Amino acid sequence: MIQITKRFIEFMLFLFLLSFISFILIKLVPGDPIRRMLQVDEVSVTKEQIEALRDELKLHEPLYIQYWYWLKRFFAFDLGHSYITKQPVLSELLSRFPATMMLTCASLIVMILISIPLGTLSALYKNKWVDHISRLFALVGSSIPSFWLGLLFIELFAVRLGILPSMGKGTVKHIILPSLTLGIAMSAVYVRLLRSSLLESLNEDYVKAARARGISERRIVLFHVFRRSLIPVVTNFGMSIGSLISGTVVIEVLFSYPGIGKMVVDAMIRRDYPVIQGYVLFITIFIVLINIIVDIGYRYLNPEIRLKGVERR
Amino acid sequence: MLQYVKRTLILLIIFMLVGCSLSSSGEEEKGGKELTLLFSFPTNTIDPHLDSNYTMVRAGVGETLVKISEQLEIEPWLAEEWESKDGQNWTFKIRKGITFHNGKKVDAQAVKASLERAIKDSPAVKAALKIRKMEADGQLLTIQTEGVFPQFPSELVHPNTAIIDVTEKDFDKKPIGTGPFKISSFEPGVALKVERFEKYWDGKVKLDKATFSFNEDANARLMALRSGDADIIFRPPVENLEQLKEEKVKVESVPGLRTHQLIFNMDSPYMKDGNIRKAIDALVDRKEIVEHILNGHAVEAKGPFLTDFPFAPSYEEKKGGIEVAKQYFIQAGFQVENGKLTKDGKSVRLKVLTYSSRPELPLTVQILQSKAKELGIEMTIQQVENIDEYLADNDDWDFATYSSLTAPRGDAAYFLNATYMPNGALNYANINHPELTAIIHQLNQTLEANERDKLAKEALKIIDKETLHSFIVHPNIMVAYRDEVKNWVTSKSEYYMLTKDLDVVK
Repeated sequence: MIQITKRFIEFMLFLFLLSFISFILIKLVPGDPIRRMLQVDEVSVTKEQIEALRDELKLHEPLYIQYWYWLKRFFAFDLGHSYITKQPVLSELLSRFPATMMLTCASLIVMILISIPLGTLSALYKNKWVDHISRLFALVGSSIPSFWLGLLFIELFAVRLGILPSMGKGTVKHIILPSLTLGIAMSAVYVRLLRSSLLESLNEDYVKAARARGISERRIVLFHVFRRSLIPVVTNFGMSIGSLISGTVVIEVLFSYPGIGKMVVDAMIRRDYPVIQGYVLFITIFIVLINIIVDIGYRYLNPEIRLKGVERR
Repeated sequence: MLQYVKRTLILLIIFMLVGCSLSSSGEEEKGGKELTLLFSFPTNTIDPHLDSNYTMVRAGVGETLVKISEQLEIEPWLAEEWESKDGQNWTFKIRKGITFHNGKKVDAQAVKASLERAIKDSPAVKAALKIRKMEADGQLLTIQTEGVFPQFPSELVHPNTAIIDVTEKDFDKKPIGTGPFKISSFEPGVALKVERFEKYWDGKVKLDKATFSFNEDANARLMALRSGDADIIFRPPVENLEQLKEEKVKVESVPGLRTHQLIFNMDSPYMKDGNIRKAIDALVDRKEIVEHILNGHAVEAKGPFLTDFPFAPSYEEKKGGIEVAKQYFIQAGFQVENGKLTKDGKSVRLKVLTYSSRPELPLTVQILQSKAKELGIEMTIQQVENIDEYLADNDDWDFATYSSLTAPRGDAAYFLNATYMPNGALNYANINHPELTAIIHQLNQTLEANERDKLAKEALKIIDKETLHSFIVHPNIMVAYRDEVKNWVTSKSEYYMLTKDLDVVK
C-alpha cells in the first residue's frame, strides 16, 4: 500500500512538473493563436480587434498567471476548449483515441506476425538463406520511408488489384494498409533485435546444459531461449506503443486516417494551446501506464527479477 | 519450430484474407447516383460558424444569404433581395418557401438567430459583419451595422455566415442547413457523407448521395481517383496531369481569386524609394514564373484582382527586364561600377522573406535573386515558418513574398482596407499613403455600385503607379474528375462544390 501511494505521489509530481514545463515551452514558441482565430487572410480585421481578443482570452497576462488559470481548470477536470473548434479538449482527444488505439493494435499485430517468425528463423538458421532474406528484409524495411511504402501499397492493393480502399476509416479493410505500412516499418527493427537476442541466448550455458540433458531443441527454444530473448524486445515494444499512440502523422495524412497525431500537429500549427497541453498530459498518462505494464512483463519473462524481490523480503 | 512458423504464416494469411473480404456494417455499397469528392484540407468540425474549411457550404449542406457568382458578382441566395438607403441600415427579404433539413420554415427570425450565433461564437464573423443590431419581422430582416458599411452584403457571402437551425444541437457533427444535401454522417478529418434533401427549395437535386472527403497528400488523392475511391479530386499533382488525361479523366484549371505578390517594407531605407520598388517589380519575370514554376497553371497578375472583376482597371503595359530595372536603380541614386550597382560606393544587400507552404514562392524569389545578382544586388533569402506572424512582429526585412485571397467575397474594399489603411491587419508594409487612404475612406462611405467601382479603380491606379506592391500571378485552381461526372463547375471562389446540378452517369 505504501509502495502504491509512493508511486502515485511520484506520478502526480511528475505530471505537475511536466504540465508546467510543457505549458511554458508551448507559450515560448513564436506564434499567435489570435491571428489564426481571426483568419486575417480572409476577414478584414483591425489591429485593435486582434488585441481585444487577446485580452478576452487573457493571453496578455504573465505566463505564471496563465498557468494558474489552466491549473485551476485542470483540478476541476476541465482541460479547456479548443480555440479553433470550441469543443472541450478532452472530448476531442477521446474522439480520436479509439482510431489511434485500433491502428496501434493492428500495426503491432502485423509487426509481431512478421518479426517473430522471421527473427526466430534468422537466428536458428544463421547464415543460411532464411537469414539472408530476413537481413535483406530488415535492411529494406528500415530504409524505405513509410510514406513511400504506403504509396506503393495503395498503388498495388487499391489501384491495381482494387481489393482495398486507398484511404478513410470505417471498416476492417480501411485499417489494413495503414497497419501494414507501420507494421512492416517497425518489424524491420524487431527482426534484427530478436535475432541478435536469440543468438546470444542460444550460446548461454543453460542451453548447453539443457541439450546435455537430452531436452529437445524445440522445447529448449520455445520454452527457455525464446522467453528470455524477449526481454529487450519487450523494452522496445513499450517504446513502440508509446510512439504509435502519440501519433503517426505521415501515415494518418496519407491514408486520411483520423488519429491523434494529425490532430495535435494541426493544433501546433494553429497554436491551439489548450489542445496541445491536453494532449501532452493525456499521452503522458498513457505512456506511464505502458511503462508499468512493461515492468510487470519483465517480472514474468525473467524470473531473476521476480526472485530478487523475494530474496529482499 | 518450423511448425510454429508455419502456423504463424497461416495466421498472417488469414488476417489478410479476412481483412480483404470482411466488410463491417459501417460500409455501404455504392448504389444510385453517388459520388465522392476528395478535397485537400481536412476539417475536424463542420460547425458552419467555426469551420475555416467552409465544409458545410462546399458540400451543399449550408447556404448563405448572398453568394458570389462565377462572373464574380454578388447574387441573391437565401435572401432574394436587399436594400439600404444609407449604407448602415439594411433590409433583407428572406426567400419564402425555404425549409431547413428538419422541416422547419426559414424566416427572418431563424436567420437572425443563426447570425447571432455566428457572431457570438466566431470572432472572425463578428469582426467581418460589424452588426450593431438586428430585427426580424416575418420574412424581413433589418440589420444595422456599427457604421456606414456599403460592402455589408458582400460580407454575407462568407461561408461562416451560413444559415442553420440554431434550435437544434450537435452543430459540430450534424448542423441543420438549407442546402440541396443533408448530413448523413461526419467523421472528423475523414469524410462528410450527405444525401439528397428532397424538399430543396431550388429544384430537384440530381445526386442521391455524396461523400465529401479529405486528404492532404496530393499523390494519395491522385491514387484515390485512379482506384475509383474518388470521382473528383482537388489539386492533383501537376506533374501527373498529362498522365491523367490519358486515363479518361478530365482536368480543369481555372484562375482563382488568389494573388501571389511582393510586399515592400516601407520602413526599409531602400523600399521607401519608389524607384527601387519599380526596379524590383521590373525584375519579376511573370511569364517565366507562369511557364516554368507553375507549369502554365496560373495567369500573370497586373494588379491584386483578376481582370474579370468590374473594379479591376485597365493597366498600362509595363516594360520589365534587367536593363529597365537598372535604369530605375540609377534613378534611385545607385551608381554603376564595373557593371555592378552600388550605393554610395557600397554594394547593396536586401533581405527577402519567403515561406514554404506555397512551394512556388521560394522558387520565385530564387529567380529574382539570380536576376538581381547580375546587377550586383545581393539578396539574402530567409524562409520563415509563419509569414503573417513574422511580418507582424519584425521589421528587419526589405521585401517579402505573400499570397492572399484578394476579393474572396467579390468586393474590393476588403483587400484595400486590410492592406492599405494605416491600421489594416494585413498592412505589414506600414503603408501610409494619404491620397490612397482618403480614397479608401470615401469608398467605405459610398453605396452606389458604379461609384464604388470607380473609386476602387482610382485606388488601384495609385497602387500601380507607386508600385506599393508587386503583383506576380493568380495561380489556378486545379480539379481532376472522372468522365462520368457531369455538370461539375470549378468555382473560382472555391465555396460551392456539391451542387444540386452535379450529376454522375455510370
